[in-house]
Amino acid sequence: MFVLSFLARRLAQGAVIIFLVSLLIFTLLRVMSGNPVRQMVGGMAPDSLVEQIATQMGLRDPIIVQFGRYAAGVVQGDLGRSFVRPANGAATGGANFDDLTRGARAGVGDLILDALPMTLQLAGLALAIALVFSALLGIAAGLRPGGVFDRLAFAVSSVFISIPNFWLGIVLALLLSVKLGWLPAIGYGGFSYTVLPALVLAVELSPVLIRTLSSAVAAQMSEAYVAVGHVRGLSRPRIVAAHALRNASVPLLNLLGVQFSSLLGGVIIVEYIFDYPGLGLLTINAVLQRDFPLIQGIAIVTSAIFVLINILVDLAATTIDPRLEY
Amino acid sequence: MAKTIDRRRFLQASAAAVGFAQINPDFLISSAFAQSGKPLVFLSAENITGNWDPTAHTTLSQKNIEGFVMGFLTRTPMTLDDPGKVVYELATDIKLLDPHRLQIKLRKGVHFHDGKPFGPEDVKATFEYGAGKDRPAQWYPGPTETLTITTPDDETVIVDTAKGGYPAHLFIFLASFLPMMSAKDIAEGPGGALTRRLNGTGPFRFVEQRGNDTVLAAYDGYFRGKPGIPGINFTFTGDSTTRMLSLMNGQASIVERLEPEQVETVKGNPKIAINEVVSVENKYLWFRCSKPPFNDVRVRMAACHSIDRAMLLEILGAAGHASANFISPVKFGYIDLKNYPAYDPAKAQALLAEAGFPKGKGLPPLEYITSVGFYPKTKEYGEVITAMLNEQGFPVSLTVLEPAAWNERLYHRPGGGPGHMVDCGWSTGSPEPDLVLRTHFHSSSHRITGIEDAEIDASLDKERAAPTLEERKAVLQNETMPLLAAKMPALSLFTSVMIHAMQRELKGLYIYPDGSIDASKTA
Repeated sequence: MFVLSFLARRLAQGAVIIFLVSLLIFTLLRVMSGNPVRQMVGGMAPDSLVEQIATQMGLRDPIIVQFGRYAAGVVQGDLGRSFVRPANGAATGGANFDDLTRGARAGVGDLILDALPMTLQLAGLALAIALVFSALLGIAAGLRPGGVFDRLAFAVSSVFISIPNFWLGIVLALLLSVKLGWLPAIGYGGFSYTVLPALVLAVELSPVLIRTLSSAVAAQMSEAYVAVGHVRGLSRPRIVAAHALRNASVPLLNLLGVQFSSLLGGVIIVEYIFDYPGLGLLTINAVLQRDFPLIQGIAIVTSAIFVLINILVDLAATTIDPRLEY
Repeated sequence: MAKTIDRRRFLQASAAAVGFAQINPDFLISSAFAQSGKPLVFLSAENITGNWDPTAHTTLSQKNIEGFVMGFLTRTPMTLDDPGKVVYELATDIKLLDPHRLQIKLRKGVHFHDGKPFGPEDVKATFEYGAGKDRPAQWYPGPTETLTITTPDDETVIVDTAKGGYPAHLFIFLASFLPMMSAKDIAEGPGGALTRRLNGTGPFRFVEQRGNDTVLAAYDGYFRGKPGIPGINFTFTGDSTTRMLSLMNGQASIVERLEPEQVETVKGNPKIAINEVVSVENKYLWFRCSKPPFNDVRVRMAACHSIDRAMLLEILGAAGHASANFISPVKFGYIDLKNYPAYDPAKAQALLAEAGFPKGKGLPPLEYITSVGFYPKTKEYGEVITAMLNEQGFPVSLTVLEPAAWNERLYHRPGGGPGHMVDCGWSTGSPEPDLVLRTHFHSSSHRITGIEDAEIDASLDKERAAPTLEERKAVLQNETMPLLAAKMPALSLFTSVMIHAMQRELKGLYIYPDGSIDASKTA
């Protein structure tokens, strides 16, 4: 019963958040510089034609009217059609709008559904690598505050957080792909193409995870129940594995939700560098081409994922520690 | 600079003597790569339009794909040594019957990729469709109604331009630039087969568009024999570093538009070969001639005399080639113009004073718009040009935009268009000079500058109407081009050098000056 009421409440809150995000993105896109109709008709078209087409497309209606029209479509599962991309999926430079031979435009939903699994695969692998690495270092650091591993964790975190991801991407591609030939680097031709970009993202994620884990474990190890555990005759490994880590995992879990969601934004640069055909690359091209429906669609889907992940994380946290209330 | 163009003699000669290998056997792809059995992976710096109709776009990357798939009546290698050289492809002979009638003899036994035999009806349909006023590319010298095209037998096409009043020889240069489409596809009309896929007679057939990858496969029925390379994957990869990394780790076979620094980096790599070719593209500083202050020729000339183009070439390094004309040295009619404005600050000051702006006083704030991310070094040399102009008193500020935003602001509009000067290149894969000159400087087009000048119009009309190519060249070199240099609606800064890097075993691949590639290794 708790789960159902929790889900109903949080999903309702999530719907409001998604609505507000959509409205904000929709409004910002229409007040920022850059005219999508100019992109569609080509630079040579006179301003009068631009205005005529913009009016026909409803782009000169009040923003709230445009948004109402758009939201009605979204509610019915229709995210609209790309302004620029054809149905054959090519990344386009824009054909002339008044050309009758222009093919059908691609559905925004289809474009996102093609790219999203690629990004989820990348983000999932990055998170897995980051978690394993951070757990090894963070737990060791938390068990001996001030010790070798704690200092190592601090140093590694400091270095990792200072490395720009675009630089690391290029260096790793040069080292692991060009020099050593161990991994493919550019584009996508199978799972192995995910490893290098995932490593870059994992390096970006690890510092926060390491620090959170080490401080959470250290905090738990100084709790009274740890000392009592020794008195009761429990072994240190048992105390750590069965009690301290379980309690330390709650802040980590909350952090993971935020980190995974932010990964969806963080993949933009990494996907661009590795030409990885996910949501990030799709977003960059959409922005460069002023493809409003696609940008809006990506924003809605990304915010929906963000909301859902946070709901799941909160649900998992309450399962681990029933005292928590969300 | 350009050597004598012997096109007339060439056209009079028997086509039978003109073989494919006449260009240079080296441009056939090396057998080492072909024997590896791998598809050629080309990483392009530019995306495509998504509309496969060749008359619907002017996008260079898509023209490159067409170069693999489509057949052309002729091909023109456009080398510095011999800009006018022609290699017959689908045509076996082209000759002028009189100033308004051109006869094209066609090769027999050629088939489109869908199996349809290639014949005169395809040439007729291609010309009539492509010249339509509604076609966005607008490469033709006149609209459909100015053409009368007849097909007296199954290997001959006669193009008659008498109704349009322009000479038929204009089609000689265009023959190497206009991909031949199937009459059957054209008959399907707008939105038909032409839009959905490419169907040509070239060495590679279109298979599919897979995301950013255009997938091509060797065509078994290619009239010169099936290519040795099994296929080509043509992929849009926007970032130049990514393209280079992909080449270095062996994923890509060939990449384009290298930055000069990248050339230096990979020159020492034994696995990679560099190909540099003086291209058909000149880079220009276009003046908005329809609004002050550049509606005054003296101010334009003063700006031209303020810019030291030699310094720009130093910045460009391997990516630039010196030229002193409005067209590339690989185009028909090129000469180094004697009156092309050189760097001369004293003359710039005199002209400014004469125009009523001594030392630039009284000039309005001027905006110079350029792009970053597509052409090499635009921002870097743009800053130098801005500094040079400011030094002479032009209150210029530089606006650097990403390509989409720059493209929005590029063209002339009523009232002059955004800014006062714009940086842009212009590249057309044909020796035809009017694809630059008439497009930009005739009042009926003036795409960027907005110039309307009766003298220039008259001179452009005169060169176009010259009855023979020799006479046309004389008018171009002695009248039209010097006139343009005296009015300077735009300053051509330099000619671009197209730089490709490729796997060493691809060395010898022939790359045309517009970036298209011949990969038709016979089996």
